[in-house]
Amino acid sequence: MTSVAPEPLRAQATAAPVSIWPAPMSPRSRGLRVFYFYSSAVLLTGLVSLIFADLLWRTGWSTSRTVLFILFVLLFLFSAIGCMHGVYGFVLRMLGDQRRITRLADYRSRSLDGTSTALVCPIHNEDVVRVYEGLRITYESLEKTGQLGRFDFFILSDSTDPDRWVEEERRWYDLIRELGALGRIYYRRRVTNEGKKSGNIRDFLNTWGRRYRYFIVLDADSIMRGETVVDLVKLMEANPDVGLIQTVPALVNAESLFGRIQQFANRLYAPIFIAGLNYWAQGFGNYWGHNAIIRTDPFMQYCELPHLPGRKPFGGQILSHDFVEAALLLRENWQIWFAYDLEGSYEEAPQGLIENAQRDRRWCQGNLQHGLVLFVRGLRDMSRLHLLQGIFGYLASPCWLLFLLTFNWMWGFQKYTRLSDIATPGFTPYLHLSPTQHAFLIFVICMCVLFLPKVLALIDLAFDRQRRRSFGGLAKTAVSTVGETIFSTLHAPMQMLWHSRFVVTILLGMGVNWGPQKRSADGTSWGYAFRRHWGHTLTGLVWGGVIWGLDPRTFWWFVPVFAGMVLSIPVSVLTSRSSLGARSRALGLFLTPEELSPPPELDTLRVRLATMSGAGETGERAKDSGLAEIVVDPYVNAIHVSLLREKKYNPEHAEALAKLGAGRPEVRELGEKLLAQGPDALKPEEKFLVMSDADTMSWLHRQIWLRSGETLATWWQAAIRQLAAR
Amino acid sequence: MDLSLESPLGASGEGDQPGRMAGRPLEEWNAAYAKVESYFHALRVRNKVLLGRLVIHVLKRAMRRAPQEPQRSATELAAEEMDHLVSEWFAQVLQEPPTGTDQMLSTRGRLALLLADMPGKWQDQFLRPGPWPEEFVSAMRKTYIQAGPDFQLSKMALRPLHFGPITTLTNLARLPYAKMVGAWTVFALILAVLFFITHH
Repeated sequence: MTSVAPEPLRAQATAAPVSIWPAPMSPRSRGLRVFYFYSSAVLLTGLVSLIFADLLWRTGWSTSRTVLFILFVLLFLFSAIGCMHGVYGFVLRMLGDQRRITRLADYRSRSLDGTSTALVCPIHNEDVVRVYEGLRITYESLEKTGQLGRFDFFILSDSTDPDRWVEEERRWYDLIRELGALGRIYYRRRVTNEGKKSGNIRDFLNTWGRRYRYFIVLDADSIMRGETVVDLVKLMEANPDVGLIQTVPALVNAESLFGRIQQFANRLYAPIFIAGLNYWAQGFGNYWGHNAIIRTDPFMQYCELPHLPGRKPFGGQILSHDFVEAALLLRENWQIWFAYDLEGSYEEAPQGLIENAQRDRRWCQGNLQHGLVLFVRGLRDMSRLHLLQGIFGYLASPCWLLFLLTFNWMWGFQKYTRLSDIATPGFTPYLHLSPTQHAFLIFVICMCVLFLPKVLALIDLAFDRQRRRSFGGLAKTAVSTVGETIFSTLHAPMQMLWHSRFVVTILLGMGVNWGPQKRSADGTSWGYAFRRHWGHTLTGLVWGGVIWGLDPRTFWWFVPVFAGMVLSIPVSVLTSRSSLGARSRALGLFLTPEELSPPPELDTLRVRLATMSGAGETGERAKDSGLAEIVVDPYVNAIHVSLLREKKYNPEHAEALAKLGAGRPEVRELGEKLLAQGPDALKPEEKFLVMSDADTMSWLHRQIWLRSGETLATWWQAAIRQLAAR
Repeated sequence: MDLSLESPLGASGEGDQPGRMAGRPLEEWNAAYAKVESYFHALRVRNKVLLGRLVIHVLKRAMRRAPQEPQRSATELAAEEMDHLVSEWFAQVLQEPPTGTDQMLSTRGRLALLLADMPGKWQDQFLRPGPWPEEFVSAMRKTYIQAGPDFQLSKMALRPLHFGPITTLTNLARLPYAKMVGAWTVFALILAVLFFITHH
């Protein structure tokens, strides 16, 4: 087996032999871990807050100073918790952490006999080629383990774009034909996408869940090595009290500069952060929605999600279901672990700032909704900690914005009123600090807290020769870390403005519809970036101008904040470019182990995607091309109709089809209209209805070939010619 | 089915005037040929010899009908004959009763052709009268497509979540005057803050 990450050198020297399995941890010891961890953060926050309070007191306490102080405590505590994850993780990696799921029991000798596992991949209008090629890689990798017979794959489509729907069906057939995977890789599309992703998974569980002891959830961009998948099942078999094991997916395949920076940060910093997280979470971990294995039975028994009381944004359907499902499993005494040392679990990241923010918008709404879940009776306190941190991940931005505004208000008020700023000695006179030096000291401490984990990650790398090489050497990694830090400094103010806007609009119940992104041939276009960022630029210019007007000396302290805002448009456009990603790679910057020595799975994926792109299989297709294919092509029509007909055997799907209107005489009339006038004569929902009616689809196929050309719309004649010319 | 290449259209063309065939202009048959050829092409019959023979076989059947149905175009007749021919053949190979206009058989037949890999391995067997190779027949009859394995229907158990007093807060927003009172409270707070700031 090669899928468990090797220990750092120092850890190997001190670690106990693998064959000695640690005794189960008592609840008291586990509780002490939580106490030590969070007490460290609270202690640090308390001490620094004291110094900050002293500074405020020295210059005369006021209401605005109270607001500033409260915000400081909140923000610093959040940063200190992050810092402690780094510190604890670093120490554990140096000493060797035995308290992890792969060290708790001898799982490798376990047999998969009698197990059945489904790998489910919920999709919704995704890039079909990329999704299927990722699945192909996982399938082929699993086949090499010789354990393929224990697994079934399910593509669970919720796609609402008719052309994508047809493409999914057609390419699914190609996939199973090429892999010989008929009866091994299944494709199911729901009639309605009720409950979104979590509803999609639930539909699978209600239909087939009882057939499988475990299921592994994949995201549309997930790739998992076969050995890792097998290891996950073995880990579940060896630990019958575990309900869910979450792997820590490595970000891979980034090409843009933004994507490569994110990928680099993930690969360099995640190991120490997750080790720190695992220190206090232990068997009370969390679920991140994909690349995780779940025990089907308890999940089906305890994790059905009710609608939350009240109205949006807090009430209604639970959006970020994963955290809540984890909390429900923990409530019923099932354990959840992070298998952070299992390698071979991959995902991809957004390639630009705007795509990243779009994803954040969705997550923000879901995480804020957890504000209500916090009050669910019977939840474990550990679950509440996970939920709280998720919420504050987004609330931190408006807090930071408010902190800066309050500070500016205080500063401006003092300048405007021409009040003197004579400082009293305070209770730290022995430090002999002027107020400016005092403020600088706090600033330095804050910077240390923010950047210490990065430094520790570098030191961790320095001690591990193999890992150091995999990143291209310590010097290049150090330079890349500086580059990543500069970029994240520019990115942070934009994120602050974005997240603040998300929080406010969500709390006011307003939606943010950005529409599809207009990408140029190489990343975000200038026009699109202007539309998304002009507010940031304007905010930076106005805010910076006001501060400059008040006090040019203070202005320079705020330059990192304003720079990110003012430069948001060029930063967004340039970092989204693959050419700059390639240039940075050529310079040896932001290298990751998967870039320098790609695992066979990623290498194969890259080659296959490049080949398909070269063959013109990956480009955008003409509007209604799917409809043309499904009606004209005898085979695509047969696949589509067969899959539709199968739905009548599932009562829920049959009911949904009937509700939609499939089978009614009006559908045939729509079909006639479609033949005579072409697809533009039908509204999107009418096209959808026609495509959902098996008999009408079958009839349309027959009619298109039986009728003479003059009775068909010219659009159909062109479609027939196009098919014949293939 | 007669798939000989010798004088395939001779019998139907006897007695026609120049520029006409089976009582129809040549252009009409040309259009019919194109339509039938397109369909077989869509079924991925790529071998030109086989393709030509199949198209001509269909056209011969259409030409036989042509004198009796002068009101219908050659393309319509040919398409109908093509449909009948393919359906009859599916019924024979799959041992299903011919079902007229019912499209179940056609769908199943096309799917069977695809799954048995007719375009790759069995082009010469397509529309050929039996007996067919055992492997081909077996491949055609056994293959079927499924969205998933056999259903094992169940229902996830819904366990209501109890939120305690917080639900009172979420329900408050539903009270008819709650929003108005809330707005007044916010207004009062703004006034208080303004007063405080200006008098501090």
